[in-house]
Amino acid sequence: MSETVLSLRGVHKSFGGIHAVDNVSFDVKAGERRVVIGPNGAGKTSLFHCISGTHTPTTGSIVFCGEPITHMPEHKRTLLGIGRTFQISSVCLELSALENVLLAVLGVRAQKWDFWNSFHADQGLQRQAEEKLVMVGLSTKLNRQVSDLSYGERRQLELALALSNDPQLLLLDEPCAGLSPAERQRFFSLVKNVPRSVTLLMIEHDMDVALGLADRVTVLHRGQVILDGTADEVRVNEKVREVYFGRV
Amino acid sequence: MNTRSETGMETPTIAQPGALRLGYAVAGIALVVLLMAWPAIAGKFATSLMTQILIFGLLSLSADLLLGHAGLFSLCHAAFFSVAAYTTAILQVRYSVATEAAACLGILAGTGLGLIFGLAVRTRGVYFILVTLALGYIVWGVGYRWSSFTGGDSGVTNVPSPTLFGFPLEDPTTYYYFVLCVVAAVAYGYGRVVRSPFGLTLRGIKYAERRMHSLGFHPVKHLYCAFVLSAFLASVAGVLYVYFNKFVNPVSASLHNNVEAILMAILGGSGSILGPFVGAAFVLGLRNWVSSFFELYLTVMGIVFIAVVIWAPGGVSGLVQRLINRLRS
Amino acid sequence: MDSFILQTLNGISYSALLFLLASGFTLTFGLMRVVNMAHGAYYLVGGYIGLMIAKLTGSLVAALIAGGCAGMLIGFLSDQMLIRRAGSDHLAQVLITVGIAYIIGDLSLKTWGGDAQKLPLPMDLRGVIEFPGGIVYPIFRILLTTIGVAVAGLLWLLYKRTFVGAAIRAGVDNREMVSATGINIDRLFILVSALAAFLAGFSGVLGGAFLTVYPGAEWEILVFALVVVIVGGLGSLEGAMVGALVVGLLDAYGRWLVPELSYFVLFGPMAILLLFRPRGLFGSENMT
Repeated sequence: MSETVLSLRGVHKSFGGIHAVDNVSFDVKAGERRVVIGPNGAGKTSLFHCISGTHTPTTGSIVFCGEPITHMPEHKRTLLGIGRTFQISSVCLELSALENVLLAVLGVRAQKWDFWNSFHADQGLQRQAEEKLVMVGLSTKLNRQVSDLSYGERRQLELALALSNDPQLLLLDEPCAGLSPAERQRFFSLVKNVPRSVTLLMIEHDMDVALGLADRVTVLHRGQVILDGTADEVRVNEKVREVYFGRV
Repeated sequence: MNTRSETGMETPTIAQPGALRLGYAVAGIALVVLLMAWPAIAGKFATSLMTQILIFGLLSLSADLLLGHAGLFSLCHAAFFSVAAYTTAILQVRYSVATEAAACLGILAGTGLGLIFGLAVRTRGVYFILVTLALGYIVWGVGYRWSSFTGGDSGVTNVPSPTLFGFPLEDPTTYYYFVLCVVAAVAYGYGRVVRSPFGLTLRGIKYAERRMHSLGFHPVKHLYCAFVLSAFLASVAGVLYVYFNKFVNPVSASLHNNVEAILMAILGGSGSILGPFVGAAFVLGLRNWVSSFFELYLTVMGIVFIAVVIWAPGGVSGLVQRLINRLRS
Repeated sequence: MDSFILQTLNGISYSALLFLLASGFTLTFGLMRVVNMAHGAYYLVGGYIGLMIAKLTGSLVAALIAGGCAGMLIGFLSDQMLIRRAGSDHLAQVLITVGIAYIIGDLSLKTWGGDAQKLPLPMDLRGVIEFPGGIVYPIFRILLTTIGVAVAGLLWLLYKRTFVGAAIRAGVDNREMVSATGINIDRLFILVSALAAFLAGFSGVLGGAFLTVYPGAEWEILVFALVVVIVGGLGSLEGAMVGALVVGLLDAYGRWLVPELSYFVLFGPMAILLLFRPRGLFGSENMT
C-alpha cells in the first residue's frame, strides 16, 4: 500500500481575471513517476509554482506527506523535502558549479549560519556536493565557473541542485527545454536513474518521452485537469488528441 | 577571475588557484613589513595619513561587505560611523567617561542604530538605495539641527586622547600602531566571515536571490545580519576616527562620506579584503596631494568618480588585469 | 492661529518649489530608470545664472527663463556625454551623477563665491499684502508660489492631456511596449530629461528668490526632492504633487514647532512609510 506523497484538492490560482490553475485535484503516490502534460498556457508551470511555494493558490489545499503546505513559504517547503528545477535557469553564474551545489546543501542546514569556518572545511558537505555533481555527469566541471558551462551543462547543474538534499518529491519543470536531441537522451537516462525513494513530478512537452517515462499522466488544458490516467489511457484518449491537435 | 555586471562593474571571486598563492603570500609579507615600519620610514605626516587610510579603509570595508558580497548598494554606513564617533566624544568630553567604556558604548550605539536601520533590507534595488540614502540623511540632519545635544555645525570638540587600561595612546605613532592592530584584527575576522558558509550565502543572494528561496534560505534574515555586521564595522571605524581627529561634526555623516567609501571599495576592488584599503589610500592620497596645490579638489574628485565608472569599473585590479592582458597579446 | 496660517503659507510655497524639482527627478527615473543625483546641481546653476540675469536686466521673467535654459543645457550635456555611459546600473548612475554634481558645485563656488546670494527683487514687488485677520505676507512670495503652481499646472496638463504626456505615461509603465508602438523612445528620453533639467534650473531661480543661492544648496534641496519622490512614489507625477505638499508642510511645521528635531519630523514618517510600502503612496510595483 503506497502512501500519498502529494495531494491536491481544488487548487485554484487566478491572476486578475485569468484562471491559470482551475480546480485541480490529484494524488501522487510515493515513488511514482507522474508527468504533467498539456499545450502551452495550460497552467503547468503555475501549478508547479503553487506546489513549490513560489505562488500561493487562491483557493484549495495542498498536502505534502500529510502536512498541509498550501500557505507555507517556499524555503520551508524545501526544508520539508521538496526539490525543484526551474524552466528558466537561475543558478549563480558567477560561482563555480561546486559552490552552487554547496549552497543547496547548506540551504537546509543550520550550518549556513556558520560565520567562522571556511565553507570548504566540512569534508562531509564537500563530498555530498561532489557526489551530486558526479551523479548528473559534471564530475570534470566541479570548479568551473557556471558562466563557462554550456546550456546543457547548466541544466545538469539545475538537476544536481534539486537533488542535493535527497528530496522526497522532485519537481522537474521542463528539464530538457532547449537541449539538443542527443542531450535530451542523456538527460532522460539521468532522470530514469533517480532512485525510487524520490517521487517524481515532471512537466514535459515531448509526448513520446513523457509517455515513455511516466507511471501516470495528468493532462492539463486551460488550467483544468482533463485526464488523469496511465500512459496508455492517455495515448488513446480522444479529448487529449483534440486538445493537442485540434478537431479533425 | 572577475564577475561582470551590465556596465562591467567587476567583483573578484574568492577562490584563487594555487600558483598565485605564493605570489600573494610574498606580497602579503612585504605589506606587513611595510606597515610595521611605516612611521620609521615615512615620517610624521605620512603616518597620520596612513592612520586615516586605515580608518576610512575600514569604513569602506563595512560598505563593501554589503556591496561586494550581498549585492546591496547602501548609502548609510557613515551614519553608524558618525553615531559611534559622537557617542564616544560626548561621553568622554561631557561625562568624563573612561576610554574603554566610551569606546565600547560608541560601538554599541552605532551597531544598535544598525539594528534599527537594518529593517531597510526588506527593500531591494533602487528602493534600498533611496531608503539608506534617506536614513543616512536623518543622522546627518539630526547632527546639524539638534544643536543643543550634538553641537550643531561645530560638533563635539576637544576630545581627549585615549587611554587604554592605563596606557596612554596620545603619541601619534603609538596611536597608529593601535589602529593598525585593531584594523588588522577586524580585517582577519572579516576574512573569516566572507569565506564562511554565511559569506557564501550572501553571495548566493547577490547572484540569484530568487533561487535562494527554493534552496531553503530566507534571504532577508541573512541580509539583516550582514547589515548589522556592517554597522558594527563602521562603528569601530567611527570610534577610531574620533580619537584620531579629536573632534566630530555632522560632515562625518554626510552623503559625501558615504559615497566616497563606496568609491574607495570599487576603486580598490570590490569583494576583496584589501581592496577598500587600496581605494582609501588612492583617494586620501590624491586628496592630500591635489589640495596642496589646487583649490578645486572636489572637481578633481568628481572627475575621478566619473573616470572610474567609465574606464575602470573593475577598480585598480581590473585596470591592472586589462593591462596584463594587453601586454600578453 | 496666525502663526499656523503663516507656516501653512510657507509650507505651500516651498511645496511648489519642491514639486518643480521633484517632478523632473521622478519622471527621469520612471521613464529612463536613471537615478540622477546631479539634479540639485542643475538647480544650483539655474539659480546662479538667473541671479546674474536678474542683476543685469532687472527682469524676473528673463531670470526664470535663463535659469531654466542654463539647467537644461547643463543637463543635456551631462546626460549625452556622461550619464548615458552608466546604462541601467544604478550604482554607476549614482557615482557618475555625484561626480558631475561635485564638479558643478565646486566650479560654481569658484565662480560665484561662498556667500549666500538673494535674487534682487523688482521694486514694485517688494512689500507685503495684508490679509483679513491681520496676517501679512510678502507679495513676492505669493507671486512666486503662483508661478510655481502655474508651471506645475502646465506640467500636469502636458502630462495628462497631450500625446507626449500619454507617451511618457505609457513609457513609465512599460518601456518596451512604447518602442514597439513606433514612438521614438530615444527622442522621448531626450525630451523628458531636457524638461526635467529645465524645471530644475527654473526652480533654482525661484529658490534663489525664496531661500537664496549658496554652495551646498544643491545637496540640501536634493534631499528634500528625494523625500518627495520617495513618499510620492517613483515615476508618479501625482505622487510628486502630494509628496511635495506633505514635505513642504511638514518641514514648515517642523521647523516652527520643534526646530531642533525638524529633520527627524520629516524623515521619520518617511522611513516608516518606506519600510511598509517601499513604492510610496502612488508608485507602482515594477520599479526595480
